[in-house]
Amino acid sequence: MDLTHGFGARSGIGPVTGLESLNFSDEFRQLVTTTPPENSGGSFTALLEMPVTQAMELLHFTDSSSSQTNITKLAGDISPHPFGTLTFPSNSLLLDRAARFSVIATEQNGYISGETPSSSANLDRVKAEPAETDSVSENQNSKQNQNKRKEREKKAKSSMKKTKSSVEEDKLPYVHVRARRGQATDNHSLAERARREKINARMKLLQELVPGCDKIQGTALVLDEIINHVQSLQRQVEMLSMRLAAVNPRIDFNLDTILASENGSLMDGSFNGESYHQLQQWPFDGYHQPEWGREEDQHQADFPMGSTTLQPNQVKVEL
Amino acid sequence: MSFIKVLILKFSSLRTQTMASSDKTINTDVPEKDVFAIHFLQSLSNLTTQNPFNSPDTTNYRARKIKKAAYVSMAKAAGGSSRLWSRALLGRAAKENNKIVRFARRKRKVTWKISSKRRSDQRAPEATDRLRNLVPGGGTMETSKLMEETAHYIKCLSMQVKVMQCLVDGLSPK
Repeated sequence: MDLTHGFGARSGIGPVTGLESLNFSDEFRQLVTTTPPENSGGSFTALLEMPVTQAMELLHFTDSSSSQTNITKLAGDISPHPFGTLTFPSNSLLLDRAARFSVIATEQNGYISGETPSSSANLDRVKAEPAETDSVSENQNSKQNQNKRKEREKKAKSSMKKTKSSVEEDKLPYVHVRARRGQATDNHSLAERARREKINARMKLLQELVPGCDKIQGTALVLDEIINHVQSLQRQVEMLSMRLAAVNPRIDFNLDTILASENGSLMDGSFNGESYHQLQQWPFDGYHQPEWGREEDQHQADFPMGSTTLQPNQVKVEL
Repeated sequence: MSFIKVLILKFSSLRTQTMASSDKTINTDVPEKDVFAIHFLQSLSNLTTQNPFNSPDTTNYRARKIKKAAYVSMAKAAGGSSRLWSRALLGRAAKENNKIVRFARRKRKVTWKISSKRRSDQRAPEATDRLRNLVPGGGTMETSKLMEETAHYIKCLSMQVKVMQCLVDGLSPK
């Protein structure tokens, strides 16, 4: 119908959210059935009166959480909409025009002026999601072939996300990133933001690991602390290895003759020249052999990894 | 020798104190202490059987060998090829010994993020670069992967330190 064509003629208008455009399907339906189609630019705003007010109301609705049920109900009406693909680009145009010209429309509708701050705010919000129209139009075009897109939702629309994502979710391999208000949403910054969030999550993990890092504010200092911790651990290993080398000038690891007898005879402090019983074998299974070579003799020892019970009575080592 | 008995006693008593595995999403579990102990003792025994201790006399030389054996055993104990840093450590050790080490290479998903990361890498050495120098194998990793490896590396290092401390305590004359 010429109404939709007229709206479709306007191009270069920016974004709407999927929510508003989907709601506008209903609005359009009512609009078409009730109002006569007038298509000139001058009376555009007059034509827009009803959708503007309802648009403003709807935009206002999306801010409040109480209206989420309304939104979901409206969104639930998506499927039986009678319009084809043309409506939704025009819906986006419609919305944006409505948002922009709401100031102009104040002279015609008194109570719109009261809503201009919200509309300007909504305009900011609306502009903050540029590529949403594409995803929405493609959704409406073909719900069967679901194009893989990144979903971007606002903070307040958690329930809305369920209805939308139920359409797209089963095939999306992409990361679901949440765009916040006033943040750029092109693909690069989205990926950057996802990456940054990943890094911050890992940093939190590291913070818990390193003692004394949770008090520190700021990533740089935390990183310095982590680096200090790693360096101190490495220095400790070096120190202990030196002590080991110093303590034991004659390391005799002939473990064939070792038996940990009952506890009494163990801690007597004499480390040389005791008599030992013969050991049984450790059960050497369940341990994967190392696949890399070593310069020493390859000890094909298998150790039970998860179930090692080092009971002092039965230490069995064969190396 | 009975010091081994002492040590094994200590390990069995300390076995209950394991490090809690942290995140659910990021898996940084390390095996328990006795796995580290076993590997370290094994490497030490290999060390001593390889070198009869008349020839290498200086403590420093032995200390260095012990340190290398400690790192290698730590890398093995921590799940030899499932972590990047352990693979790098083992590769480095094998190269020093003029051996060629082969690992099963995992498939790596190269994303475009890597290219954008390299673009911004010409900066003054900052914290992440220092971390890369510290953690073995950290030269060519994404930063998030680096963090994960660092966490696992820290856990394994502290475990190794505990094992060695036990050893030294058991071996030092009272």
